[in-house]
Amino acid sequence: MKNLKSITTAIILVCALMFSSCSKEFDEYSLNSNQPISVSPDLILRGVLNSLPVFPNSDEERWSQYTCRNYTYYGDNRYWTGAANLSYGTLNNIVAMETEAKKRTGSDLNVYSALSKYLRAYLFINMTLKVGDLPMTEALKKLANQKPKYDNQKQIFIQSFQLLEEANSQLASLISKSDVSLQGDIFYVERSSGAKSPLEALKSWQKVVNTFRLRSLIQLSNKSADGELKVKQQFNDIVSNPSKYPIMTSNSDNLEFVYNAVNNKYPDNKESFGFDALRFNLSATWVNNLASLNDIRVMKVAEPARGLGFSDTSFKSFVGAPSGIDLSTMAAGVQAGKFSLYNRKRYYDGFTAENTALLSYAEMCLNIAEGINRGWTSGSAEDWYTKGVKASFSFYGINDGDNTITFQRQGASILADYVNYTYKFNFNNYFSQPSVKYAGDGVNGLNQILIQKYVAMGRNSGLEGYYQWRRTGVPAFSQGTGSSASGKIPFRFQYPSSELSTNGENVKAAIQSQFGGADDIFAKLWLNN
Amino acid sequence: MKMLTSKWVFTLLLMLGMAMPYLAGAQRTISGKIMAAENGQAISGASILIKGTKTGTMSTPEGLFSINAKEGDVIVISGVGIKTLDYKITGTGLQVITVDANTKDLNEVVVTGLGIKKETKRLGYAVQEIKGSDLVKAREPNPINSLVGKVAGLQVNVNQELLGAPAVSLRGSNISLYVVDGMPINSDTWNLSPDDIESYTILKGLAATAIYGSRAQNGAIIITTKRGSKNKKGYSVEFNSSTQVNKGFIALPRTQDLYGGGDYSEYAFGDGKGGGINDGDYDVWGPKFNGQLVPQYDSPIDPITGKRTGTPFVARGKDNLKRFLQAGLLTTNNLSFSSTTDRSSIRMSMSQSYQKGIVPNTKLNTANFNVSASYDLTKNLKLEGSLNYNHQFTPNFPDVNYGPNSIIYNITIWTGADWDVQSPDIKGVWQPGRVGTQSIFAEYQRYHNPWFMSNYWLRGHYKNDVYGTLGMTYKINKDFEAVVRTNVSTFDVLRSEKMPYSAHPYGREGGRGDYREDRRGLFDNNVEGILKFKKSLPGGINIDAIAGGNLRNFSYNSTYVTTDYLNVPGLYSFGNSLNPVKAYSYTANMLVLSNYYSASIDFNKYFSLTGSARIDKHSAQPSNNNSYFYPSVSGATVISDYVKMPSFVSFLKLRGSFALAKSPSTTPYIGVPPGTPLPYGSNYVSTYGGPTYALASPAYSIGSVYNNLTGAYAPSSALDSNTQVSKTSSREAGLDIKFLKNRLGFSATAFSNILGPSIRNYPISQTTGISGYTTNAIKTQVTGLELSLQGTPIQQKDLSWNVLVNWSTFKEVYKDLPSNFESYQFKQGDRVDKLYGTLIARTPDGKMINDANGYPIMLPKAQYLGNADVKFSWSIYNRVTYKSLSVGFQFDGMVGGYIQDYVKRKGVEGGRDISTVQGKIGEAREYEFLNFKTPGYAGYYVGDGVQISNGVGAKFDPVTGVITNMNDLQFKQNASKVNWIQDYVSYVFNKPEYTSIAKTYGKLREVVITYSLPQKMLDKSFISKIDISLVGRNLLYFFPKEFKDLDVDQYSGRTIYSGNNRENGLQTPTTRSYGLNINLTF
Repeated sequence: MKNLKSITTAIILVCALMFSSCSKEFDEYSLNSNQPISVSPDLILRGVLNSLPVFPNSDEERWSQYTCRNYTYYGDNRYWTGAANLSYGTLNNIVAMETEAKKRTGSDLNVYSALSKYLRAYLFINMTLKVGDLPMTEALKKLANQKPKYDNQKQIFIQSFQLLEEANSQLASLISKSDVSLQGDIFYVERSSGAKSPLEALKSWQKVVNTFRLRSLIQLSNKSADGELKVKQQFNDIVSNPSKYPIMTSNSDNLEFVYNAVNNKYPDNKESFGFDALRFNLSATWVNNLASLNDIRVMKVAEPARGLGFSDTSFKSFVGAPSGIDLSTMAAGVQAGKFSLYNRKRYYDGFTAENTALLSYAEMCLNIAEGINRGWTSGSAEDWYTKGVKASFSFYGINDGDNTITFQRQGASILADYVNYTYKFNFNNYFSQPSVKYAGDGVNGLNQILIQKYVAMGRNSGLEGYYQWRRTGVPAFSQGTGSSASGKIPFRFQYPSSELSTNGENVKAAIQSQFGGADDIFAKLWLNN
Repeated sequence: MKMLTSKWVFTLLLMLGMAMPYLAGAQRTISGKIMAAENGQAISGASILIKGTKTGTMSTPEGLFSINAKEGDVIVISGVGIKTLDYKITGTGLQVITVDANTKDLNEVVVTGLGIKKETKRLGYAVQEIKGSDLVKAREPNPINSLVGKVAGLQVNVNQELLGAPAVSLRGSNISLYVVDGMPINSDTWNLSPDDIESYTILKGLAATAIYGSRAQNGAIIITTKRGSKNKKGYSVEFNSSTQVNKGFIALPRTQDLYGGGDYSEYAFGDGKGGGINDGDYDVWGPKFNGQLVPQYDSPIDPITGKRTGTPFVARGKDNLKRFLQAGLLTTNNLSFSSTTDRSSIRMSMSQSYQKGIVPNTKLNTANFNVSASYDLTKNLKLEGSLNYNHQFTPNFPDVNYGPNSIIYNITIWTGADWDVQSPDIKGVWQPGRVGTQSIFAEYQRYHNPWFMSNYWLRGHYKNDVYGTLGMTYKINKDFEAVVRTNVSTFDVLRSEKMPYSAHPYGREGGRGDYREDRRGLFDNNVEGILKFKKSLPGGINIDAIAGGNLRNFSYNSTYVTTDYLNVPGLYSFGNSLNPVKAYSYTANMLVLSNYYSASIDFNKYFSLTGSARIDKHSAQPSNNNSYFYPSVSGATVISDYVKMPSFVSFLKLRGSFALAKSPSTTPYIGVPPGTPLPYGSNYVSTYGGPTYALASPAYSIGSVYNNLTGAYAPSSALDSNTQVSKTSSREAGLDIKFLKNRLGFSATAFSNILGPSIRNYPISQTTGISGYTTNAIKTQVTGLELSLQGTPIQQKDLSWNVLVNWSTFKEVYKDLPSNFESYQFKQGDRVDKLYGTLIARTPDGKMINDANGYPIMLPKAQYLGNADVKFSWSIYNRVTYKSLSVGFQFDGMVGGYIQDYVKRKGVEGGRDISTVQGKIGEAREYEFLNFKTPGYAGYYVGDGVQISNGVGAKFDPVTGVITNMNDLQFKQNASKVNWIQDYVSYVFNKPEYTSIAKTYGKLREVVITYSLPQKMLDKSFISKIDISLVGRNLLYFFPKEFKDLDVDQYSGRTIYSGNNRENGLQTPTTRSYGLNINLTF
């Protein structure tokens, strides 16, 4: 038995050795060497900015009734029946960017923290426009607060305006110090064409902050009398003090996504033409409004509907499909050439069609016109109205005089078989039409502003076209079985269903206080009441 | 690390060294070897007793023994399965003793954990063993496929795709551990050489596998390879040759050949990319083949207009798929040599296998070389080693994943019979004057010429796979034995893809070609020391114990590199990339230290008890929680040994076990490096077994964001730093009963496993900024029953008939589902395999509710459809032997289990499925084709069901999506005509209600007719055995006709589908196979 004892000893020795001697090796082995646990803030900013745009050929542009699908396989034109995509994940990246920037600069005042204030406001306002109340004060605390309480919509706006105020003053202070540290800015510094220097970019961002604030105040047009929100006062402060609150001054200030032919292709391009050729068409809400104004922009974005039998450059050839009709009827119309398709040259000829604005100078001008029309500030609504429309013309490259219009040749059997027309377009004639000539501050003038703003936001600016309809009813949207099973257009998105299981008490309280207990997509948000 | 390894080896050597003096001092003994008279195989565990004394010993697994005796002594040899023999010792050399088998005694011996052989009757858990020789005749390309139906509860999803590996599961969980001769290896199942396998043992319960640790948590397949043996000549040579042809479809999509490509009855070829009418990315809803003139891809071009003129539109491509596929072939040859002397044994084996796929220009070669040897250095010290080298290589195997990269997608679903797969221009692949840059086909936006795909779009697979072991067994004294061994399991694999110019799968519409390499390398090394103790004590108490330690050192490295289009067509190299090359990588290392202990005690004839314990220290766990312990205990009692049974009961045993397993944060499989974009095709999944890093500090993900500039994304999950290893507990009870002198045996096993709490991402409100945190949560319970019946209805001198029937069932439910995980789809207590999908709104009496346009209203939330897991599986195997002729055949199948048929769904959507020209749909289709241009045309088809007549809108529950105001709705018969049948069919008839089915099927799996040449004919030749077999596999398939594009085999086991994920992928049609097998022994 002596040997047994020795063997037992040996085994115990082995075990002891094994479990004591190598914790350092174990620690090394348990690390993941494939991913970093800290990165510089510009990398995060790049990811954040890239997640902001609503790209064209999306459901959002169909819900805003700019374009339509007519082919069931790839979807339809129905509005949502479910929940919103919220941006808390992106906000979490913004929090990380602030942390990494502070870690590296040692200061609370840096380009990333200034941009993060803007980005927070931008995302919270976009989210509340989708669903209503949402956690803001208690949000983004990760495990420290796993069940954040909901802030009401008004509080979200108040806090967001505060953030925009701070973003404006931080950017002003960085600009005054000629800070050139901004990197990772794909919208201005790194864009594929028309790039700006970091300092110029900061100046553009400051304009973006105040331009966005104007848009957000316009969103609250039904709440302009609210004493806490001070909508009119804020609006007036910004418009009347451009040195403190610089705003956009031309299309080159646009906050927009610029495409390139290799890595970031416009979603409609010559490689996708064969999929889309007859399957997407333009919506009546966009095309018919443009055509009724004898507006040359329609020839830039649409093909003539040759099945109707008018000449290619007749405005009668430009007819969109009502977004609310059923898909089969729309498909029949498209097969018969009764509805306008996307302009082939503009959207399919290459890879970069047009820049996609998140926030544009044209919209801003028309927002200011709307504010003046509503009596929020002084100035000439007509001037701003004209500036806005001309900015949109400029975006489409429309000249006062001869313009080249390009369509696909009738009966062409390849994409690039085009026919060109020279079309004379006179700005004065355009603006002197009764339908375009500003009718003065009042309902008619307001409708003109809203129609022009709607058409200028075609295929860009996310859901703004839809939000304007929801807020003002202008332009009239097409409703029918193509919109939803009930034919109606919803007014909001549901809360994510995961909120019911993970934060049930708070989401239920928010649903109760806003909508009386049902998370109903046809219920109206506070700001639309 | 190096330090650590050498320290460990040193300690092991030390351990042996301490034992050495006692061995050297042992007395001189008589040694012998016991072999079976029948086949010369070693008999292990035989009891050797000197007659008239109490001096005795037992034979080793190699049949060896040594005993203190002198010449002339008589020793009594007895044991399970052998006839007791009195043997007189002659001389002092090695006693070679042959014993006869005792056929009456059915006490089989099986290989259990760590390669230890045990008597089946002593085991407290269910084990089933299959002889390798049963599986090498009616061969499958993959050896594991052959196990289907052979073991109760073992599910093998036979994958007939070339290079497709079977998913193997037991009791609802995938098995990933293969153990060869006691050492775990990393196996994709292709690196097993069936000709070298003596037996497969399926360890089902946790108690059986606990000693292997977490890798065997879901069961293990224990493989014992063949060892050196000899016959009278001192050596044996065996040759096995098998040839099989794959021909005759058992599953083939049924398509219509009446209408061609296009949409809404219209089609005209312009450029095949949208320039004509519905000529790009079209459906098969085009015009009818009436011989009318339609511009087509090969129509002549008018020299004046430059446009194609019409040519007759006819179904020139009927049965394109059938005419494209070819007969497959599988040939395998194996040559082995083995020899044994009194001190050594050796076996060498070479196998070569060639498989020709049914898709043209696809193939798979496998070469395997195996050598194993043992040598007794002294009579107490034995060296053993083996090495297996396996090389799989193919320059091209098919990609069957849904998409333009798939033959089925291109021929069967999305293009019509308007092009002919055998026409010279299509077979010629290239457009005239554009060889190498532009293929020719009927369409150029989405679809591909199948010959172009087969001959020029090539996917290679080159894998070297090596595993081997070297060990030393040291017999310390009659009670103790020490084993030190090390093994290596390593592979390197290259998967390449050459995508030619003008191929344009998802995301690569630029059509400028690409080259890709996916390289992976894995190294896994175990060093192990085991001390074994075996002793019989007075009173019939036998003790069999082991203690061991293991060091596992694992590393993995992979890269995925792709061009971003090519400059020079046909030059497949990274230097030829048009845009910057994209490359991704992943590295993982792992270290595991283990100790394990096991002891079995037999209490006379009454009871056997086995306990085991294992302690692991694992680097995939955070350092505060990286050691864990798991125990198992099992017991068995053979009641018939001590209680008098009725005469018809010859054997009755009860058994039971309990085990508690733990598993760290590892995963058995891995795909491409994280972040790799895979726009199309499959993510190649290889065996892995390494860390997931789920418990490492949350990290940023990095990727190209804009214009090739990198962006970073913050972690969306946090970590609970106290996260423990996953737990699994298992309870199992069973009985084995035999009747009528063992002619009929029945075995039943019931089990209940609690899985969890496992390592999960615990969901929290997204408004916190993160979606959850990693912690321990969720318990599920798997319960099930496995039954096995074995019988010999006929046993006569010349005629015998054996039957084996297996039956098994299981289900898994959520036992503890925290409310954060719940949804309207899954609540605590629910089955985990519930499937959900879109359902049509229906009245309480089941009629479809249509909208104003005559389209059914779809409920806005996914509805419960059924359960994914089958209700039960069954198999029946028969073998009838008459003199030298034997016939074996197997039926197997299963009942229940819901699946949506992907080929069918897409075929219906695309208008190619046969059902789109039948019945009312067919009438509508014809009417539309004839009338769609008639003024006032308003369609034809009126869908079934009702419309709401009282103007009340249906309201839906915002959470579950069901109609809440059914009582307010009034209905009338639907009267709205559908504009286009295409839209209606692809909106309605592709839904789960019309395209899904229970997996209930039956198969005549295999038939083997073997003729063994009578021994007397061979007596004078140099050949000792000749077996000739006619074999067939997959011969009959019983399944509903309209779903016979689906060979359920691939999805027969546990599917990974639950929730809204309910669909299989595409599959290549499957065939029968027939062939001939010749087995020669020299």
